[in-house]
Amino acid sequence: MKRPPSELSRRRFLERFASACFGVRFAAQHPPLAAAQPAGGKAKSVICLYMRGGISHIDTFDPKPGKPEMAGVEAIRTSADGVQISEWFPRMAGQMHHLTLVRSMTSLLGIHEMGAYTAHTSYVMTPTIRHPSLSSWAVRRIGSPNAVLPGNILINGSPQHPGSGYLDSHLAPLPIGDPNAGLQNAALPRGITTEAFDRRSALAQALGAPFIQSTPNPDPATYQTLHREAGTLMKSEDLKVFDLQLEKDATRDAYGRTPFGQGCLLARRLVESGVRFIEIEDEHNWDTHNDQVASMRKMTPSTDQAMAALLADLHQRGLLSSTLVMMITEFGRTPKINEATAGRGHHPGVFTWWLGGGGIKAGTVYGQSDATAERVADKPVTMADFNATVALALGLDLRQIEHSPSGRPFTIADKGQPVLELFA
Amino acid sequence: MKRPPMNSGLRQCRIRLTLLACIAFWLNLLTDYSNAETAPQFEQEILPILYHHCFSCHSEKQTKPKGGLRLDSLHGIRKGQVVEPGKPEDSELLSRTLLPAHDKEVMPPIKGGAQPLTETERTLLRRWIAAGADFGTWTHFDHRGSAFEPRSAIGSPQELTARIDQLVAQHHTQNRTARLPPASDETFLRRLYLDVVGRIPTLEESTRFLEDRSPQKRAKLIDALLASPGFESHFFNWKADQLRVYRIEGLPGWLYGDWLKEGIRSKQPYDAVVRQLVTASGYLWDNGAVGFYLRDLGMPLDHMSNLSRLFLGTRMECAQCHDHPLQPVTQKDFYQMTAFTFGVSNLASSSGYSTAYIPQWPEMMKKLDAMNADSGLRQGVSKTVSFLKRFTTDTGKPLRFPDTYPYDPALRQKPVQPETLFGDPIGHFTGTPREAFAQWLTSPRNPRFAKNIANRLWKFVLGRGLIEPVDSLSELPEPHHQPLIQALTDAMVGLRYDERAFLSALLNTRLYQSESLRETPAPGLPCDLRGPLLRRFSAEQIWDSCLTLFVPDLDQRTALRQTDGTYLDPKRLRQLTTLSADQLIARAQEERTYHEHHRKSQLRRLEQKQELDAAQASGDAAKLAALKTAHAKENAAASDPRMQTLSMGAAQAVPETDPRWKQLPQNFVRASEAPVPLPADHFLRQFGKSDRREIDAFNRDPNTTHALALMNGELTQRILARGSQIESSPSPLAPRSEALLQRVYRTVLIRSATPEELRIWNRFAESDAPSTEDLLWALLNSPEFLFQH
Repeated sequence: MKRPPSELSRRRFLERFASACFGVRFAAQHPPLAAAQPAGGKAKSVICLYMRGGISHIDTFDPKPGKPEMAGVEAIRTSADGVQISEWFPRMAGQMHHLTLVRSMTSLLGIHEMGAYTAHTSYVMTPTIRHPSLSSWAVRRIGSPNAVLPGNILINGSPQHPGSGYLDSHLAPLPIGDPNAGLQNAALPRGITTEAFDRRSALAQALGAPFIQSTPNPDPATYQTLHREAGTLMKSEDLKVFDLQLEKDATRDAYGRTPFGQGCLLARRLVESGVRFIEIEDEHNWDTHNDQVASMRKMTPSTDQAMAALLADLHQRGLLSSTLVMMITEFGRTPKINEATAGRGHHPGVFTWWLGGGGIKAGTVYGQSDATAERVADKPVTMADFNATVALALGLDLRQIEHSPSGRPFTIADKGQPVLELFA
Repeated sequence: MKRPPMNSGLRQCRIRLTLLACIAFWLNLLTDYSNAETAPQFEQEILPILYHHCFSCHSEKQTKPKGGLRLDSLHGIRKGQVVEPGKPEDSELLSRTLLPAHDKEVMPPIKGGAQPLTETERTLLRRWIAAGADFGTWTHFDHRGSAFEPRSAIGSPQELTARIDQLVAQHHTQNRTARLPPASDETFLRRLYLDVVGRIPTLEESTRFLEDRSPQKRAKLIDALLASPGFESHFFNWKADQLRVYRIEGLPGWLYGDWLKEGIRSKQPYDAVVRQLVTASGYLWDNGAVGFYLRDLGMPLDHMSNLSRLFLGTRMECAQCHDHPLQPVTQKDFYQMTAFTFGVSNLASSSGYSTAYIPQWPEMMKKLDAMNADSGLRQGVSKTVSFLKRFTTDTGKPLRFPDTYPYDPALRQKPVQPETLFGDPIGHFTGTPREAFAQWLTSPRNPRFAKNIANRLWKFVLGRGLIEPVDSLSELPEPHHQPLIQALTDAMVGLRYDERAFLSALLNTRLYQSESLRETPAPGLPCDLRGPLLRRFSAEQIWDSCLTLFVPDLDQRTALRQTDGTYLDPKRLRQLTTLSADQLIARAQEERTYHEHHRKSQLRRLEQKQELDAAQASGDAAKLAALKTAHAKENAAASDPRMQTLSMGAAQAVPETDPRWKQLPQNFVRASEAPVPLPADHFLRQFGKSDRREIDAFNRDPNTTHALALMNGELTQRILARGSQIESSPSPLAPRSEALLQRVYRTVLIRSATPEELRIWNRFAESDAPSTEDLLWALLNSPEFLFQH
């Protein structure tokens, strides 16, 4: 016996289910911006590139040409007038006209876990509450343009990602371990036909019904619905967004066949499908305590390639105006190379994050480090300030206070001051 | 009925009122209405409103109560002239709460984080004043409260069971309600395994119990399961989530978890475990309990917040930064409590490193000076002994009031004198502050210590605390079930904090052995004592139950090695403490040589890769092969045997040799044996296992990923692969026979199929000829599998 087809159209069906399970709402109108927040609201999606381990600023986007701190590495010119970056990033040099480098990032947190936590949540880590990541705030406040797909996706993320914090768990990013494998468990196991699957499902639904009828608690019924709807999702066209094989080989090669490269490509596809927030973690460990130069030589090519390909591709498809791309990390690295290890230590005093697209100024540098990249020389920006800027670009209200279930008041980006000069 | 205002934050949670909960709600309103003639009792109904909305500004706890008004004594209320008996509209106590939220005069002032009164609370106030504002015998609120005095001697689990049965029966007689019908053997069996062992029983275990004809079989099974290793695993998950057992940067943090497991295994009484945690000293590899402090490195204030929440059921983290807006707990109170633990080494320092506790350190420094050592060697030495820098002990370092302390500028930066928040004051003490604190904390006289753990254990097996949230204990009298709470607290002390004995008493009650309550209780309503609450399995219960279906002797399988990604070997760390200054320097020199060698070979490997890439690109296969051989030879010659002796790491891979599990991947062990932290897309994390950043940070909300995992995931595949074995063992059964259907039901859902299910099955069997795998799949994917009932 088969279940009669649902009376709801498939689309409405999925929309309803997505909102129930993935925390996705219809793309809401952006709230009107208050007078004090003149800029922003142009970004529909965010792609966050997370460089795990604390990527060196002096060896990447804040070089000090000719200084001994460079350890012999050169700075190169870029497509942005007067902006130089390290020679390790030749392809990114061609994309600088899309970006603003924030070279005056500063924090007090020199421990990986704490730096990563604040980078994502804007709050300082405490063991009495878990704060939501910016991505969870975004989908909570303004939902996601695509009502079917999850609005918050994390590709190759670390176990330490703070997720949705104290917010509902369905606002946590959906983790994608391997970008080539797509949504976990969404494919039929080998040897199972669609017909066999449908038969099993029908049996499960029929045998599951009596328990639900005798249980007023709604959770079992929700599972029954989820089961049905996950079956629909498995067959859904929307899942094709996860299938990278639908891309041309040339495109896949352009991003590089690394987890980070293919993750960036998947992010572009997700943006095209209207996913609100995607974070991709680079598989390299940028915690270069040993042999700075050799480590950079080894790790930068694939990262440079993937980042540059992503920016070029988004631009070429006209998506960059509505997509904010950002690169974040825990901290910078000591400008002075350690004699014993030839590497660099943790350096939260000054470091570089960058952002571009989504209404952000292009081809510029904001803030400065001093002559040896040791401290902030001009216009310090905290992680909270930076995140507040991104939140504003998304049109989120930074002043709206929300209470945690324990009654504590919180705001997006912990009262960080958005850097209005960053907006075009 | 009133809702405790602390719950107002919960409004943000998705509150689902089921039909029945709605009815309960309306019945409550009706009760209120019908009671309109009887005036609210001050101490039971009005005092809690004042406590949560007024006392944080208007009580003796403030140096200067706002507006000079004190509402925590009869004298203060009379003096303030805020109540006009019989005239609610003329009573400021009520009228100020009725003003619009933006009014300057509104009480409580919302901007301070206080919560406005609910409509129910205003109605109560109005009725109480209208009826004459009778204070009864109340004269003042005792903020410190009195010490706990056990009222009855309950010295055995049997006595406690009998007492609970009696009190629950009394409750129902008084309220003209009834317990749910007794649970069947099948229901009891499944529930007990899930609650005690944390998984469903195997078919063999089920059969053994169901075929037992002994009238004592339930009590026997309770005792047997509480004594089994499965209980240790399940109880560990519960405790590890509370203690946030997680990695500890740069140390083998799993030793903390191991210490906790050992405490459960060796049946340490709860109060002894807490004393050991609070007074823990030494190196992590000598005393895993110091993980309790290392876990909160650099966060001494949060450490006390968590400690008091966990062991006293009292949340005071608001008062870390300012007076608590919803309770009369001041920032000073908080600082006085924290002063007991603040001086623990490492706790207050963000780096957590100190050379002060390395006995060899001064001598090493002298020798390095004498050697005229370069910075490289000095760095090396510092690194070699880095593990020894985290020694937990008392430093005597005083906590000081913050330099911005707003409530009494004279106290700024002054050392804080340690003092307790409630119960017995400690005053002057001998010994370390931690010892004095631990003694007060775990004393039977502490009014919240035994009550807290009793309530938490009640929730552990019945699904809901008698006091909810479990961390909302205060000096207010409990609004519901006071005699029961008193009995449980008496018994916790009487049973000498033996958690197994206490659980055994609960599990033997008629209440526990009733059918489950299948509706969602509305927040704020009291526990109605009709039966255990239906709830979704924890992530660990789902994982362990799935594994039960395909891993033989699951509870006996332990992880082959413990790890949290640090791969540090405690034995080697322990050896480090025994080395002399000279030996440590020599070791550092050797490490340095080794490290340089290692770096060179890493760099050489990079070059080798480039050489190989070049050869590959040129298409010269012979050259490629020659290079590979040459590199292999080169690398073998360059391998450095010192790695073995210098490393602090343990062997990373240990092969499985037990024939029962040889064919299974190593990660198929109980959830309690899984490494921490797990990847975000791991089955356990997806189903809501806590990341242990915060107390009890697990969740049980449904998500699509759950459905996908159970339909297509690896565990399901492995369970289905056992289909033929289920058909043939313990006796062969015909496909699609009723007997086989019953066996599969017994295996997965731990019960027989009902006639209705049999009819459904027969219908499918005729048209679709489903296989045993199909049936297994269907039951794994029916919601009942995920719910404890």
